[in-house]
Amino acid sequence: MTGTAFGGFTEILWQRQATLPLLLLLQVLPLLGAALIFAFKERTAAVVLGKAFALGELLLAIVAVAHLDPTLPALQLAERFAPLAYHVAVDGLSMVFILSAALLTFLMTLYGMSRGMISPGRLFAVLLVAEAGLVGMLVTVNVAWFAAFSGLELWAVVYLLRRWASSRAEIQALARFVQYQGFGWLLFAAGCLVLGWGHAEMTGGRWSFDLFDLVGAIPVGKFQTAAFYLLFYGLAVRTPLFPLHGWLPNMAQHGLIAVAPALMVGVKVGIYGMLRFVLPLTPAAVETWQPYVVGFAMAGVFFTAALAFQQTNLRRLLAFAVVSHTSLLVIGLFSLHEAGIQGAVLLAANFGLAVTGMWFIVGFVFRRTGTTELHELSGLFERIPFLAVAFLAFGLAIVGMPGTPGFDAAHLILEASIDQFGALSTVATALGNVAAAGFLLWAFQRAFLSQAKAGGHDVDRTLPMEYVVGGIALAAMLAIGFFTEPWLFLTETASQAAAARFVR
Amino acid sequence: MTLPLLSLLIFQPLLAAALLWLLPARRARQMAASSMLVSLVLGVAALVAYDPAGVRFQLIESVAWIASLNVHYRVGVDGLSILFLPATALLFLGSLVACWTAVSDAPRFHYSLLLLLQAATFGIFCALDTVMFFVFWEATLLPLYFLLGRWGVTAGAAAVATRYFLIMLAGGIPLLLAFVMLAASQVVPTFDLTVLLAVPLSRGTQTAVFLLCLVAFGVKVPLVPLHTWLPQFALAAPGSLTALLVGLKLGAFGLIRFAVPLAPEAALDLHWLLAGLGTVAILYGAVGMLAQTNMRVSLAYASICHVGLAVLGLASYTAQGAQGAVSLLLSFSVATGGAFLLLEFLRQRTGSTDINALGGAAKTMPLLATGFLICGLAGVGMPGTSSFPGEFMLIIAALQSHTGAGMAALFGLSIAAAGFLALYRKAFFGPVDREEVAQASDLRPREWAVLVALIVMIICIGIYPGPWIEIVRPAAEAWAAGLNR
Repeated sequence: MTGTAFGGFTEILWQRQATLPLLLLLQVLPLLGAALIFAFKERTAAVVLGKAFALGELLLAIVAVAHLDPTLPALQLAERFAPLAYHVAVDGLSMVFILSAALLTFLMTLYGMSRGMISPGRLFAVLLVAEAGLVGMLVTVNVAWFAAFSGLELWAVVYLLRRWASSRAEIQALARFVQYQGFGWLLFAAGCLVLGWGHAEMTGGRWSFDLFDLVGAIPVGKFQTAAFYLLFYGLAVRTPLFPLHGWLPNMAQHGLIAVAPALMVGVKVGIYGMLRFVLPLTPAAVETWQPYVVGFAMAGVFFTAALAFQQTNLRRLLAFAVVSHTSLLVIGLFSLHEAGIQGAVLLAANFGLAVTGMWFIVGFVFRRTGTTELHELSGLFERIPFLAVAFLAFGLAIVGMPGTPGFDAAHLILEASIDQFGALSTVATALGNVAAAGFLLWAFQRAFLSQAKAGGHDVDRTLPMEYVVGGIALAAMLAIGFFTEPWLFLTETASQAAAARFVR
Repeated sequence: MTLPLLSLLIFQPLLAAALLWLLPARRARQMAASSMLVSLVLGVAALVAYDPAGVRFQLIESVAWIASLNVHYRVGVDGLSILFLPATALLFLGSLVACWTAVSDAPRFHYSLLLLLQAATFGIFCALDTVMFFVFWEATLLPLYFLLGRWGVTAGAAAVATRYFLIMLAGGIPLLLAFVMLAASQVVPTFDLTVLLAVPLSRGTQTAVFLLCLVAFGVKVPLVPLHTWLPQFALAAPGSLTALLVGLKLGAFGLIRFAVPLAPEAALDLHWLLAGLGTVAILYGAVGMLAQTNMRVSLAYASICHVGLAVLGLASYTAQGAQGAVSLLLSFSVATGGAFLLLEFLRQRTGSTDINALGGAAKTMPLLATGFLICGLAGVGMPGTSSFPGEFMLIIAALQSHTGAGMAALFGLSIAAAGFLALYRKAFFGPVDREEVAQASDLRPREWAVLVALIVMIICIGIYPGPWIEIVRPAAEAWAAGLNR
């Protein structure tokens, strides 16, 4: 099965691999679900529907993976519709992200129920819109479509945050969020324009934002540098990457618990965007600026770890954990080494799952205690041991403990990093990761393990739905941790193809 | 191929740890005890199945685990590791039975953690694949973290547990790095220990690997100056847990199994470093021991001192050194493990193991006092106890290869022995001042039974060490031959 080549990229159309346009379905299904739920208003069926559509999307994603041939370097299941510049295609790497988006959304629908939100129907509709946005970003190979889907998803998150915000701090956090994300989105859009303009210059006035076209008309010199920085910073705000992470701690502390941060950082679309668009479209600039990007990321690992130790609020602390570990992902990605890229993608999925799990548990704790201030929490282990152990297990997954999916991925990044940057800086980065383990354990010790304070209220025992949410996330994590082979197989060829653009 | 003994050893406790949750909480310890009994039987069966005169690695099982990274689930034993299997099983069982009634809250969680720790320990002794070894190595941390953090005996136990976890996690980085470097140095990247042992490496890689391993295992041994966690741990943890941690010298085993044979030339070059670290540990441990008033901390220093001797003897790179080191480590499982268990009995009775709060304990608890004396004397290498053959071989090896260090070691060991006796005198003899000591009752039959089993082993192995040493000898000779090829 050979593909059609377009300026360095090859693709295989969906008709040759499947009977249905699976990627279109993946995008439409959640939108359809959202519309239906919206029509059902506040009826109880809306809740069931929301769960069903999220589960359906997850199953559909699994079907799509089954139709993919991971041994081919080409992008697959491609669909094109020229009038709208609609062009989608996936490879093993994007499928990892899509699967994690579908799984996390499904877990969020379960979580939303167990929390008994005031308006579950509305929540589920918006959640599915956000999922459509995420999946759209992950399947498209058109930068403009990527930006549009990104806007859709941001709208959904802003909507949720607005419904939540009541106090001054919360409104302020929302404003900060909108400012940061709006600015990041504009940067990215400007980067798209530079690329599209470059294409128009080179082809005599024909504008295009399609990856396959753009890769044949890469801007040179200053224009490429400009495009690189616009796209990179745009995505860096979204990811978020140190030092552009200012929106996350406030939003995590004051925003809607669990769901909002999970939507923003559960699926690492920023990392995906860099991999899919930035690396191939600005290769020379990437190689020139690689040391600076990696240098900042290494500094970020430590800086945010140091900040995390200062935090007194569990939600805020988790935000810094996210920033710390995204730095690690960027190091893996910008090693421009196949092992590093593969590791970064697997680790991105793992971190997303783990940190979302932690956020859920923080949400469960908040529901019981009404606070996430560390000095007000104590002795939770005695009352909710399952959630406590799950919290710790997710925390250890972030650190790359053996037996969690993080281990093999971190191992790959380590390998690539030694190869590219030498052993010393690699050890330094790994120590930064231990620092992350440090603050997570410290938080665990204070909130869960310490003696229950006198006069503290009785905390409810773990509910069945909490067992389900925590259990699914935990089981998925352990299963991937001990059976990494299929995941490595899924991402291997695509990582090689991505790394092949750069001279080692 | 008959039964997959080693896999059974590793997975049986895991299974038991899971099954335990299906039983009512009060049955948890019976379940754990029966699982540990099965482990002991399996450990002895592995020992019987092992042929000391046969090939180097036996009872090998190998299954592809992560094929694209060439990582395998591969287990096997040689003469250096086989005896640790029954010793581990025995120590866990002993610790469980000795503290049969000590755990009242969350027993299922406690016992499943113990079983998890046991499985990981078996894994460490059996692993023949570096990635797998690393997985088991790190897998010991979580159970220890919870066992110490939740069932610690001091108020600050959770903080000590966190600190221990972080130090060990940081220690794991150089180890992982060394393993990645080893794999990358091969034509086809591999983590198979037997292959890695057979293919010589460049001098530069060897030096890096050796130093990385030295740091990583040095934290666990512990070697001075990486030892600071151990006295804290001993103070915060119940004696039954410290017995497991100190009784099983995983760090020293790592040095024997990985650090030295994987980088033989670098090890030979840096013999002074290894010997120096060993000597410093002996002297520091001995002096540190004298400065303590709490016997748990004091014994922790004594253990630093003795494992230093094993490291020093190892640095001779002779078969005798390796054989002595393994014998001594095994003897410690019994002697130090027993001593810590006895200190736990003492703490449960009097609320303290500080010599200032004791005095005259032998009057009310003669059996306990006698047992502690025997374990302690075995700890200092008294002739006629199980430690003597190993200690003797180590000192001979050290005197031959590093005469000055060997003399210093002898000096340090004498100080340690004197320190132990002084401590013993203050705690167990003299008038009884305190109410708690006067009220204390002597060992119960259950405690006594565990103790008798340990003492019988100490004395039997001490008087008739031949068979045990013979099991280790061929492997130790192969080990030394691999270094001096």
